[in-house]
Amino acid sequence: MDIDTEAPAPSLVTQIVTPGSAITSDSAYMRGHGTFGEHGTIYSSVAGVVERINKLVSVRSLKQRYGGEIGDIVVGRITEVASKRWRVDVNSRQDGMLLLSSINLPGGIQRRKSDSDELQMRSFFAEGDLVFAEVQSYFADGALSLHTRSIQYGKLRNGTFVSVFPQLVSRSRTHFHTLPCGVDVVLGVNGYIWVSKHVPVAQVEANAEHIYSDENESISDDERESIARVANCIGLLNRLYVKITDTSIIFAFEASLPYPVKDLLSIDVATELAHNVTSRLKLQA
Amino acid sequence: MTSLILSPSEQDFITRGVEKGFRADGRGSLDRREVTLRTNMISQANGSARCRIGHLGLGTDVLVGIKAEVNTWTPGEPESLGSIVCNVECSPSAAQEFEGRGAEDLNVELTQTLDRMFNGPQSGIDMAKLCIIPKQAYWVLHVDALVLDVKGGIVDALVWATRAALLSTKLPRVVVESIADEDGNLQSEFDVVDDAEDQVAIEGVENLPLSVTFNQIGKRFVIDASEQEEAVTQASLTVAVSPQLEICAVQKGGFLRGFPPSLLSEIMQTARRVARDEFAKFKELYETAA
Repeated sequence: MDIDTEAPAPSLVTQIVTPGSAITSDSAYMRGHGTFGEHGTIYSSVAGVVERINKLVSVRSLKQRYGGEIGDIVVGRITEVASKRWRVDVNSRQDGMLLLSSINLPGGIQRRKSDSDELQMRSFFAEGDLVFAEVQSYFADGALSLHTRSIQYGKLRNGTFVSVFPQLVSRSRTHFHTLPCGVDVVLGVNGYIWVSKHVPVAQVEANAEHIYSDENESISDDERESIARVANCIGLLNRLYVKITDTSIIFAFEASLPYPVKDLLSIDVATELAHNVTSRLKLQA
Repeated sequence: MTSLILSPSEQDFITRGVEKGFRADGRGSLDRREVTLRTNMISQANGSARCRIGHLGLGTDVLVGIKAEVNTWTPGEPESLGSIVCNVECSPSAAQEFEGRGAEDLNVELTQTLDRMFNGPQSGIDMAKLCIIPKQAYWVLHVDALVLDVKGGIVDALVWATRAALLSTKLPRVVVESIADEDGNLQSEFDVVDDAEDQVAIEGVENLPLSVTFNQIGKRFVIDASEQEEAVTQASLTVAVSPQLEICAVQKGGFLRGFPPSLLSEIMQTARRVARDEFAKFKELYETAA
């Protein structure tokens, strides 16, 4: 399988390879990620698509662990409370870190973090809590450093958690969506998703002292049903490998209305709904 | 059984949902997830079954194989009964906690649970018919279960798979003859017929029980808990019910607290009601399972 060196542009040559496929023997090319060289031939080491940029050949794999870029919006679960920081599971190769200096204090007051803050870190975040954060930078060992320095970030409440493949969530302008059915969805780029009852932004800002509260608002039966329906729709989109965006979730939700919520998770109904969504998305494109 | 930790608000969301009868995935308190059943996929075993309980084609996955062997009687054993030996192993790939020796305690607990339900006359099997020649030879049925994936509710999947495997088991026919030896005494000898077409089912398998596991969450209970629901469970009770709707075995799971007695009697009654529907569902799935 040789790359056609006369090809007009690299993007037009889409070559799907499996581990061990030979890509090229031309010594002019340099090896990039996802490849290895043996006796002058470049082979692919992952299953994916060949990408060629000028003289650099690399293979972008179809499935890989979430890596983490600066500016990514992620949802993470606190796994450990350590000295002046929290360890956060962000579905990556390493746990991320949320430093005490990177969080907002209740009430929006700006002050230096004191020793008493360090002693009562669990009053902010404890093990098991879900946080909505942004990646600020990397540590020397490649671990992500997170921050929640904005009123929209912080502890997640009033809903349920869904885990999907990270490749299905693309980076976009906004990751916090309010769906027409009255449900808020936080799409973490790392594949962790939070589905919750809609709380108006004004109400969140008014309750600035209670941003670390563990108490849920009261959730009505209809709201509970909508949350379950959206969570199930996301689950079936994930299982049938459909891109998860606010549009695809809304399409899935509308297609699912004839069925009771619990039936959405039977494989037959899920397949039918996923086909429905993909055809609607194609029409829209 | 898993080490999932949920935030207090997630736990509260699940608990309130259960108390209203509307769970996080939309099921009611007495709704079981989708069950898939396949039988006779292990050709070298006398009987086998695979049961998967869960959403979207994934879920708790259990494989059970039945091997029948002829054992020689030794003094001290029951004189005219066969025996059933259960063994459950959780595959290390089923969950992260099972890596290395992490599943040892769980294996012992599940083996004892299965043993309590199936080893003996309370399972409905005619143990006397498993005896070939009293004080000489008997059938021993090895029930080997392998847990391939865990997404909540292992015990029910184990029991469904074991019941299906035992129902599908075919034992070779045994011919018993009385032969006079040198002194003129009559000795019994047996011969196992080596014909794949000439095989018999185990006597009494249609009486085998099915189990329903109840998890108490808040003030109410649910059946077939998912992983998140198990993380919020205070106490669990597995009830094995026979097709005659009699209670064969009861096992309390090792969670945090006990049950109030009023909830206990409610669970027992509900178990019989739920079991009636479960047996109908099992029959339907088993008939298309081979």
